[in-house]
Amino acid sequence: MLKVKNLICGYDKRKVIRDISFSIEKGDFIGIIGPNGAGKTTLFRAISNILKPWNGSILYKDKDISKILPRDFACEVAVIPQILEIPFAFSVEEFVSMGRFTHLGRFQTWKEGDSRILEDVLRVTFTSSLRKRKMFELSGGERQMVILAQGFAQEPVLLLLDEPTSHLDIFHQVQILDLIKNLNREKELTVVVVLHDLNLASSYCDKIILLDEGKIFREGSPQEVLTYQNIEKVYKTIVVVKENPINLKPYILLVTEEERKRKKRYKN
Amino acid sequence: MDKKHILIFISLSGILVIVFVLSNLVGSSQLTFSKSIYYLFHPNASGMGRDIIWQIRFPRVMLGLLVGAGLACCGVVFQGLLRNPLAEPYTLGVSGGAALGVSISVVFAVSTISMASFAFLGSTISIFLVYAIALRKRFSNTTLILGGVILNFLFSSLVFLIFSISRAEDVHGIVLWLMGDLSSAQVSLIKFMPFFIFPAICLLFIFSRDLNILTLGEEKARHLGVDSNKVKKVLFLTASCITGICVCASGVIGFIGLIVPHFMRKVVGVDHRLLLPASCIAGAIFLIFCDILARVIIQPLELPVGVITGIFGGIFFLCFLLKSKHLELF
Repeated sequence: MLKVKNLICGYDKRKVIRDISFSIEKGDFIGIIGPNGAGKTTLFRAISNILKPWNGSILYKDKDISKILPRDFACEVAVIPQILEIPFAFSVEEFVSMGRFTHLGRFQTWKEGDSRILEDVLRVTFTSSLRKRKMFELSGGERQMVILAQGFAQEPVLLLLDEPTSHLDIFHQVQILDLIKNLNREKELTVVVVLHDLNLASSYCDKIILLDEGKIFREGSPQEVLTYQNIEKVYKTIVVVKENPINLKPYILLVTEEERKRKKRYKN
Repeated sequence: MDKKHILIFISLSGILVIVFVLSNLVGSSQLTFSKSIYYLFHPNASGMGRDIIWQIRFPRVMLGLLVGAGLACCGVVFQGLLRNPLAEPYTLGVSGGAALGVSISVVFAVSTISMASFAFLGSTISIFLVYAIALRKRFSNTTLILGGVILNFLFSSLVFLIFSISRAEDVHGIVLWLMGDLSSAQVSLIKFMPFFIFPAICLLFIFSRDLNILTLGEEKARHLGVDSNKVKKVLFLTASCITGICVCASGVIGFIGLIVPHFMRKVVGVDHRLLLPASCIAGAIFLIFCDILARVIIQPLELPVGVITGIFGGIFFLCFLLKSKHLELF
């Protein structure tokens, strides 16, 4: 569905992504992880058709994405960025409706079908009761759900998310990722998500891409990628990886400096 | 659009008609109120009164309508595009740029039409300057307004530089005009204006849905299917043109583009498909109303209308600043 070939890109003169290739198939749930500055967001901006590649290509359904019109792209791909400022006091309903406009012509008006889709996405994101509220009145978790609802209103086949759960409490983290996972399972929605939290990535993603200094360090199932060797090498910190007793996926435990010292003392 | 909005639009239109008619009836001349009504409804009658109404007052009110509507719409568009509630032709330095253009053209004594193009050129250059400054500083609210204020200072200094080195009789008329004045426009320009301003405002309406989405930022707008670069260019150019023409016809009238959209957001909400037409009508009402005040407050003398809008605007700005905790949340 999405093919990235020998991608090199960055900002101004600073090269961030140094030769990355991978491909995404329909129905995939892919997590992109890596330390700060590894190029996660840059890669994300490249595949969401914002940043132009310096070299290499990004193909969506075998078409160069820089040649696809924003309108046509938005009909198939919904993008949820990490930060979204909303300077004007739009209501939830108005905000979510904006997701439909890519399917409407300039002089076409809102139809019954659009209202039905609006109701649907509000319902699945549990935001029906918020519809008349203003965006700035919402809590962080509610706000993220509404932003997601706007993305769903585009009726995407590919959903790109950049750290959708950062700054959220565990209830909302799980609620949001569960919702996306369900759509992935039931409607074959293809998902690419940048995540900071390794344990969330392990629990939800079928495939993980671990980035380091603008390159792919490892790529594969959570079990293959999330080993203590890989993580210690890339993140330059000591971790212990155990098996999560509930889903049998890797679970990463941090080790503080104090404990590291204590361990050493025992050894001596 | 529900019942509430229809009601709002009907009442706005009603108020516009009332101030429009009223504005034709008051003025500094000795014409009585009842005579004015008579002449207004008998445009084919003869006499001095008819000339005062139809040759002096009517074009002036028409000009107020066009400039008020135009500047208010520009305010809405600039605020949406720059995602900044304080943006408007005046605070962005666009009016200042246009004023500089016109001052240069007056010194070189060019024709009316080239004067308009000088004004347009000035406003376009300054909006791109502000845009470039803002782009470098990631569109932060402070830099944007600061940039506009600095440009305004720069331009007005240049305007005064031009004044100080040119002959007094050349610049005498322009001083009043700089303060914002509806009385000094040439009738030829007023006749031409509707054919430009109305289509330009219609163009803005056509893009109002895109403008809604653009308030979420250039990138998110692209994600939602709006060709941000193209739409931004169209809207910037159109709004700059409108500003240029308005400044050319009536000088620097500040704050309309600021007060009217803010007030209308309280009334109809932030959706630009309603906000733009509402601000358009309200802007016309506001400027015509201010012009009535400008004509009657110190009768038989007249004030430049820019003084009135400036006083209203300044007070509004202050109250807004003191009252609002979330300046960003408009």
